[in-house]
Amino acid sequence: MAHVVLKDLVKTYGGFKAVNDVSLTVNDGEFVALVGPSGCGKTTTLNLVAGLIPVTSGDIVIGDRVVNDLDPKDRDIAMVFQNYALYPQKSVYKNLAFPLQMRKLPGDEIDRKVKEAARVLDMTHLLERKPRELSGGQQQRVALGRALVRDPAVFLMDEPLSNLDAKLRVQMRSEIKRFHQDLKATIIYVTHDQLEAVTMADKMAVMNGGYLLQYDSPAQVFAHPVNMFVASFIGSPAMSLIPLEASTANGNTVLTGAEGWSLELSPRNVQKVAGATTGKVVLGARHSTIKLHKSAVPGSVPARAYTVEPTGDVTFVQALLSGAIVNISVSPNMAVAPDEQIWLEFDQERLHLFDGETETALKAD
Amino acid sequence: MSTLAETAPRGRTRRRMRIDGWRWSGRIFLVFMLLYTALPMIWMLSTSIKSGFAATQFPPQWWPDEPTLASYQKLLDPQNSVGQDFLRFFWNSLFVSTVTTILSVIVAVPAAYAFSRFRFPGRNFLFFTVLLRNMFPAVIFLVPLFILMRAIGLVNTHGSLVLTYLTFGLPLAIWLLKGFYDNIPVQLEQAARIDGATRFQAFILIVMPLSTPGIIATAIYSFIGAWNEYIYAYTFLSKNEQLTLPVGIQRFFSENTTDFPGLMAASFMMSVPVVVLFLVLQRYFVRALTEGAVKH
Repeated sequence: MAHVVLKDLVKTYGGFKAVNDVSLTVNDGEFVALVGPSGCGKTTTLNLVAGLIPVTSGDIVIGDRVVNDLDPKDRDIAMVFQNYALYPQKSVYKNLAFPLQMRKLPGDEIDRKVKEAARVLDMTHLLERKPRELSGGQQQRVALGRALVRDPAVFLMDEPLSNLDAKLRVQMRSEIKRFHQDLKATIIYVTHDQLEAVTMADKMAVMNGGYLLQYDSPAQVFAHPVNMFVASFIGSPAMSLIPLEASTANGNTVLTGAEGWSLELSPRNVQKVAGATTGKVVLGARHSTIKLHKSAVPGSVPARAYTVEPTGDVTFVQALLSGAIVNISVSPNMAVAPDEQIWLEFDQERLHLFDGETETALKAD
Repeated sequence: MSTLAETAPRGRTRRRMRIDGWRWSGRIFLVFMLLYTALPMIWMLSTSIKSGFAATQFPPQWWPDEPTLASYQKLLDPQNSVGQDFLRFFWNSLFVSTVTTILSVIVAVPAAYAFSRFRFPGRNFLFFTVLLRNMFPAVIFLVPLFILMRAIGLVNTHGSLVLTYLTFGLPLAIWLLKGFYDNIPVQLEQAARIDGATRFQAFILIVMPLSTPGIIATAIYSFIGAWNEYIYAYTFLSKNEQLTLPVGIQRFFSENTTDFPGLMAASFMMSVPVVVLFLVLQRYFVRALTEGAVKH
């Protein structure tokens, strides 16, 4: 195993910057998820690490070598592809043996390693089958087997679960997590599914438009998103973002909604708002940090229920507030009707404030 | 509830009947098409085993009273002057077609792969110009190519035919194969390269075997094109010992008489290699249609 360092990595296609000054360090044995919407540059970044496309500028270090100019085969990596990329004309056995044959290992050692990998992944009975004779989950497992049979320095995984159905995806998710724990493998994992990133990774790198926005543990990213994009991308249902107007009168700072109500802030949040470039401030709140009241209580603001979605354990209420949709989770016992007048109370400790102009998180000194 | 249960199966039966109706008219159509294509061939075969007299008799005999293989014996007898000519033409055709086929596969495979996988300036323009040739009738190039061949001293050589057939066959071969390579996920090669293969090894070990049906289809296409071609062979070659079969078969027509059984026997033997080629390799065509092991 080895660590991976990306230093000011840039990839341009013509005038288009697919990857923009991305720098990050993946420590030895760490599971890092590159996450972002499609076209954010995460797969391009992974392909750069793999050596499948040349870097425009910057450095890639695997172990202690700068690998910029090395062929993929010389980088000591293994990759699991979204469509598995199993060699269709080869049996499972030969698929697993291929990377070993290419490295000219002796026949008996190949046989031993292939059988060991098959045993670990519980697919000894599938060795003679062709990929097309396997189910999606089995194909996925063979792809994983082909990666681990060689004991590479780094595992690269490009959306390995996105072709599986929902149930299998959850099952394979825990298998890959287990695989990481058992092997202490260094894994770089690309996904557009923030839930996969949050549940599996030690650290997540949130990307958008070719930029690395935030690189931290899932808990940190969840609790302290650096900007509105990260805030709305991580967490499900998404964090509600409500555009408001900040104003100070008589030394008292309040946020005013489009409907005319105003919300008083805690001293710490007042400090944050003071750092905004203009009066435009966006309030962010996760569904679980908002309390729904049937009548006005001090510190609450009026809103109108829009839809009500019972899921069994919890009921999600969407409400209209200052032109935005706000997600609130309530107990299933609470009866809320669409178009009902409700009052929302925000948790001052756990609400997020963003600069309405720059979209970055506002910080207290 | 009960009305639904009753009407549902009836609707299904009606639909099945309609499908059966289509299926039957389809079958009848196919039988007609089969007769249409098979009759001339059956006629060719039956004439080839007739005597010279029986071949011109009227009303014609559908099947000769006294079938004879004399025409075949004559054609395949190296001692006989007709047999000598025929075997030579056959060999010439085989040589020209085989060389054309091998060369077109050698050129088309890397060309198609490059068009499919690499982005380079002028790619679309080049691909268009490759196909441009196929937009004109072949006859247009007859005179210019003849002048060209004479200038470079290739008239009366098989080389002139091979070159010509290549220019005709390659565009479609490249286009056909490009389609095949487009359908092979690029991730397979990437996986192979990560697994320890060079780019070239990935192509040879992974991509080539997957494109076998395409390569075979391309090869058959080039072979048949070259095997059947008449006008260019007729124009470029004048020496008897160099003629290919389509031109050589004309020898059976003379000013006063035509050896119809001989002509038909020669035609039949000329169609044998193509038919055999198809029969042996047709499973690859089927595979080309059913291959779909990779999830997209």
